[in-house]
Amino acid sequence: MGLDPRSRARFNLEGASVLLMDASPLGLEILVQVLSGFGAKNLHRALSIDEARDTIQRHIIDLAVVDAGPTGAGYEFITWLRRSKIEPNCFTPILVTAGHTPTHAVNQARDCGADFVMRKPLTPKAVLERIIFISREGRKFVECDAYVGPDRRIKNLGVPGDGQGRRRDDLPPDVGEATQPNLEQDAIDGLLTTLKVKI
Amino acid sequence: MSVTFHTPKRRLTQLLKTPGGLPLAEAIERATKNLGTLAGACVAEVGSVTEQAEALMARKPASFDEAFLTEFYGVVNPPIGLSSICGLDGIDVALHSMCDLLDHLKTTERWDVEAMQVHVQALKLLLHTESSQNAEQTDAVLSGLRKVSQRYAAPTDTPSA
Repeated sequence: MGLDPRSRARFNLEGASVLLMDASPLGLEILVQVLSGFGAKNLHRALSIDEARDTIQRHIIDLAVVDAGPTGAGYEFITWLRRSKIEPNCFTPILVTAGHTPTHAVNQARDCGADFVMRKPLTPKAVLERIIFISREGRKFVECDAYVGPDRRIKNLGVPGDGQGRRRDDLPPDVGEATQPNLEQDAIDGLLTTLKVKI
Repeated sequence: MSVTFHTPKRRLTQLLKTPGGLPLAEAIERATKNLGTLAGACVAEVGSVTEQAEALMARKPASFDEAFLTEFYGVVNPPIGLSSICGLDGIDVALHSMCDLLDHLKTTERWDVEAMQVHVQALKLLLHTESSQNAEQTDAVLSGLRKVSQRYAAPTDTPSA
């Protein structure tokens, strides 16, 4: 994900509509200064969930940067947004910022439907890296009763520790005895030979 | 339970590629410069938070009180990230350690006034003297705070810092 700051690559945030939510006015101002520095001109500021909801209902948002806050208000807002069915905003990329990130808070951020969690203090380079990363990644979106948001399975680490897979296509860890004889060489060759096809 | 997978089109991907915009280096430089304008406000805010923490300690309850811990957490969590903007990185580490401590105390329903008090005193010390102290002394203070806050961590917890 690392960006080379010496790179001549350019990016353009001028046309993007960005929602910034932080219950702390100074925290919000930090987000504003970072995004303004990146060239974003259309910034919507929200100090509360109500203000953020109002913005979502009135404007198309291309990116949201939401602070979790000490009470987890940010997570509550993201859960609402992902299930709001307000298109296209319910699919918008969301970066969560958080000052304190114990395991339970990170799990909460992941399960509310955020794309990425960033721990404070924020640096402009790290914020830009994450914005570019989430714009490129093309993760699938999952909708079910228990969760709405980007696919949380970023890494395939195999089946869980107990060896019991949860995906429909997970195979058991132990390989059983062969149930059919090996293929003859002719059959293998037949699978690999290019065939002429009539169109 | 039905599960749907789809790949929504996100406008951000196209917008970032539109002609114009800024080179990465220039964008980072401009954002860093913008943040510099907030340094004074950040120092003032951290000072105010330290005073609020002291005021809270002055009316500390005698035993475990979840509401008090929640209120304290609400005071010391939001300023994390401000100190690094004004070059007082150690204060961010101290605030982080304090949040860990409050979180552990709340989870385990335990009470330790001394542990909280030592964090508040460290905040004051770092705020008023960090720039003149050497890095070694600052590290020693922060390392001590970490030891205090991790004393209450559940065995399976890993420090969040």
